[in-house]
Amino acid sequence: MIIALGNDHIVTDTKIKISEMLKAMGHKVIDVGTYDHTRTHYPIYGLRVANLVRDGKADYGVVLCGTGVGISTAADKNQGVRAALVADTTVAKYAKEHLNANVISFGGAVVGEHLAEEIVKTFLAADYLGEDDDLVKKIDAVESKDNPEQHDNPHFYDHEMKLWDEGFYHD
Amino acid sequence: MKIALASDKAGFELKNYIKDYLENEGKGYEIVDLSEEPAADFVDSSVELSHAVLDGKTDRGIMFDEYGTGSAMASNKIHGMVTANVTEENTAHMTTQHNGAKAIAIGAGIVGKKRAESIVDEYLGVDYAGGRHQIRLDMLEKLY
Repeated sequence: MIIALGNDHIVTDTKIKISEMLKAMGHKVIDVGTYDHTRTHYPIYGLRVANLVRDGKADYGVVLCGTGVGISTAADKNQGVRAALVADTTVAKYAKEHLNANVISFGGAVVGEHLAEEIVKTFLAADYLGEDDDLVKKIDAVESKDNPEQHDNPHFYDHEMKLWDEGFYHD
Repeated sequence: MKIALASDKAGFELKNYIKDYLENEGKGYEIVDLSEEPAADFVDSSVELSHAVLDGKTDRGIMFDEYGTGSAMASNKIHGMVTANVTEENTAHMTTQHNGAKAIAIGAGIVGKKRAESIVDEYLGVDYAGGRHQIRLDMLEKLY
């Protein structure tokens, strides 16, 4: 399978472990970054993974940030993407079997390396059971509006990044 | 602070338990229970709660279903919504501080009662930090 992998700077090391595991399992990995520990912003990478899954360029997505909340939320806000934030394999399995989730997410700073690997393996090994089509359609239909600009647009966040570089956002 | 609660059938018992916990411990929250009766499913309960928070009727919200992840998945589809599926205390406070989470989801089949008490205390007991985190929320706000 082709797996799109995305993360923020907090959990790059965990991402690399997951990438290595996926490649050892025979999957093709599209690593959309980030690639180091330089401070960056999780929506950039959640959106990149979502685009690949949405367009069928990846079969599934794996996204992680410190807690997984931010990057899973970013990925989920895309048409055709159902991102599941989990902290164990029980929920990972449920998300695929019943919600037909196509992006799995966990807190890279929350779950340990072994559990992270098992979450991803469990998610990929599970199959959608096909019993919940109405529920899945209902989830997909929750947001009726669309922002065409967010789809496959490398300049989507240029404005925010300009403000960031100018020091507009500071603690 | 006004807190909305909503639940499907699977989360109903834990929702009621947490409702009593938040109301009876002198915590000072005003609870708005959107599910006096269980919603038909977690999509209905999580979407109703999301609109209550986004429309300013409550300050934050707590959603209950069996696994938690479904309520978060459905509600995060809504423009402007940020829901964290939470199973432990660290994420519960981090998601307020860093994500300004408008709601959390708790899976009643996954999280026990005592853990749920700690989670809601951690989630509600801190404030959004702003600062560098705001660029990420502005980025989320552009997504539909």
